[in-house]
Amino acid sequence: MSTYTICVFTENSIGLLNKITVIFTRRRINIDSLTVSETERKGISRFTIVIKHEKREEVEKLVRQTRKIVEVLAVFGYLNDDIVYNEIALFKIATPLGSKPLDVDTINRVYKAWVVYWGLDYVAIQKTGTEVEIFDFFKYLKPYGIIEFVRSGRVAVGKTPQGLVEYLPEDMEWEYYL
Amino acid sequence: MSKIAEIMEEPVIASVSPAPEIGTVPKMLSGGQALMECLLAEGVDTIFGYPGGAIMPIYDALYDYTDRIRHVLVRHEQGASHAAEGYARSSGRVGVCMATSGPGATNLVTGIADAIIDCTPMVAITGQVASHLLGTDAFQETDVIGITTPICKWNYQIIDPDEIPEILAKAFFIAQAGKPGPVLIDITKDAQTKLMSKKFEYKKVEKLAGYHPRRVPKIEQVEKAAEMINNAKRPYILFGHGVLISEAVKEFQAFVEKTDIPCASTLLGLSGMPIDHPNYMGWLGMHGMYAPNVMTDECDVLIAIGMRFDDRVTGDAELFAKQARIIHIEIDPAEIEKIKKTEAPVVGDIKEVLNLLMPLVKKGDYTAWKNEFRKLEPEEKLKVTDRDLGGSDQIKMAEVVKMVSDKTKGEACVVVDVGQHQMVAARYYQFKKPHSYIASGGLGTMGFAIPAALGAKMGAPDRNVIAFIGDGCFQMTIQELGTIAQSGLAVKLIILNNNFLGMVRQWQQLFFDKRYSFVELQNPDFITIARGFGIDGHKCTERESLEESIDKMLNHQGSYLLEVVVEKEENVFPMVPAGRSVSEIRLE
Repeated sequence: MSTYTICVFTENSIGLLNKITVIFTRRRINIDSLTVSETERKGISRFTIVIKHEKREEVEKLVRQTRKIVEVLAVFGYLNDDIVYNEIALFKIATPLGSKPLDVDTINRVYKAWVVYWGLDYVAIQKTGTEVEIFDFFKYLKPYGIIEFVRSGRVAVGKTPQGLVEYLPEDMEWEYYL
Repeated sequence: MSKIAEIMEEPVIASVSPAPEIGTVPKMLSGGQALMECLLAEGVDTIFGYPGGAIMPIYDALYDYTDRIRHVLVRHEQGASHAAEGYARSSGRVGVCMATSGPGATNLVTGIADAIIDCTPMVAITGQVASHLLGTDAFQETDVIGITTPICKWNYQIIDPDEIPEILAKAFFIAQAGKPGPVLIDITKDAQTKLMSKKFEYKKVEKLAGYHPRRVPKIEQVEKAAEMINNAKRPYILFGHGVLISEAVKEFQAFVEKTDIPCASTLLGLSGMPIDHPNYMGWLGMHGMYAPNVMTDECDVLIAIGMRFDDRVTGDAELFAKQARIIHIEIDPAEIEKIKKTEAPVVGDIKEVLNLLMPLVKKGDYTAWKNEFRKLEPEEKLKVTDRDLGGSDQIKMAEVVKMVSDKTKGEACVVVDVGQHQMVAARYYQFKKPHSYIASGGLGTMGFAIPAALGAKMGAPDRNVIAFIGDGCFQMTIQELGTIAQSGLAVKLIILNNNFLGMVRQWQQLFFDKRYSFVELQNPDFITIARGFGIDGHKCTERESLEESIDKMLNHQGSYLLEVVVEKEENVFPMVPAGRSVSEIRLE
């Protein structure tokens, strides 16, 4: 099983998520994580979809089929080595009176995580990193009592010097975001 | 303006008559009128449809356009989508169908699914509940966009009449460009009624940001293919529907003649090459011909043109032509290597590819190689064809098809339903003209033929349209006899009646120990039913009267139903068992 990150650049229109995911559903491919946001170009969205698959050819077929959706402008499939990627996680940790105090210094220095909210008897900690780093941190925090844990989908950029613009249709005049 | 529309939903629009010309319109158009203008701008002359609550404003607008757009009132919306397919397949133009929201829309679904898999250009227009009711489970509301997303090339919901020209232009472009397919446009009732806020202007779409299929191939790909073709010892061309869709029949024939390579077609490629052409070896696939099937194991270079290695063509895809180097000429890049590893893909429109390929290829000496195909023919004739064409007390399906073929000189447009008769028609009709075999190939939709035959006749009014239909299929869309009668057109329908769901029975006989589970039918009196609809017909039970029956049908003015009672337990051979290698082909 390899992890593949599929980046899909699309026009921003209603129902597009469904159009993309039905292709995964038909091929019975489970989506590990999914992130959608607008890109530096107005009106262009970027889907980052993470899947695991045994066969590279099957993933290539999936990529080609996704490209067929009319609103899809470009699709890239990456292995982990091809990209810079990260996720963000939030941990809610119980800190009742008399409990073992959190070692904020270790959290900051060793795990590069930050306490982003202090409640009366809990704190919220934010950690950015890869899945591996986040689960490492999860293990560290577990003894303190994790009330709640949430992890975002992956965001990724390719390790090539090119930007998105080079893959978009030539004669389109896209308005820049901001 | 919008206020008027809001208060007076229907009356305002109903009073706008006659329909104004584009460009000279002093008043703004309603959504319904704008839709009609879009259809005219796209050259649409025929719509197959069925009215209902949520599409009434469109039908009201249509009322003023009936002098320019012919509307065919089907009897069930499934008939509308299949008729649109038949129209598109015989004419090469976009088939248009229309239905109301909810059940109207869901009834279109089978035809839409059929169109996507057989690459048929179609625009389906559905009415939808008013936009403020969306998502509320309103009367006849269904999420047709959600339902049709996996089976449409594109779909879109319009809630503002101002969007109509742009979206319809996109719809017609997408339906036809690249690999054609169905597009569904869902229009809310308020968007049909409201007036546009700006002047109607229609600009045809020629390219979209995300969709601009490559027509002209990369020259390196063409050169590589040419080199492989020129160096081949035993090249073999398999061509499919793409040759017909791209209107490349002439170019393809010239290519085959220049190179002198033997060729065979897929089921939907039938009629892409005249059947008596010396390089044409027949068609291949599960029930295809013997030589074209087994020779896929013998060629050194396989040139696949406008076909997609469907499992009914390849059997076991791993084993299919495993010794061959493959060239795949195809407009849809997603088809390349979907099934077979391809050494030389050429992505582009077939006509364009062949035009570029022509000067690069040279004639080979393939006489001995072609003879290898021909050498296999006597065995098939002995074991299959001779048996199919006689030797039984009862009439055989093949006899009927062969006789109709002879009497129409192989020039009719043949529409078939799905099952044994479909395969028999493919085997025994001697196609001489392109666009002459209209079948539901990919989806295998029983009930396709009656409405598709009407659509085909409307798309090609000068052609003799003859449908071969099984007794099971006939009853799936039997109500469309009413549509045919009302159209006043001449469509010839032939029921090959064996009182069985023949293909399923054949599988049960061969693969399920003759356990005939629910395949025998108690049929109605088809001729009485046809007469009830106003279509004349008669039933033929004896071989002696078959010729006379066929003559009577062919000479009849107007539509006609001929029911032929054929042998009950006949099997279709050759047969490559599902999922097996073509080398396991059975002749008996």
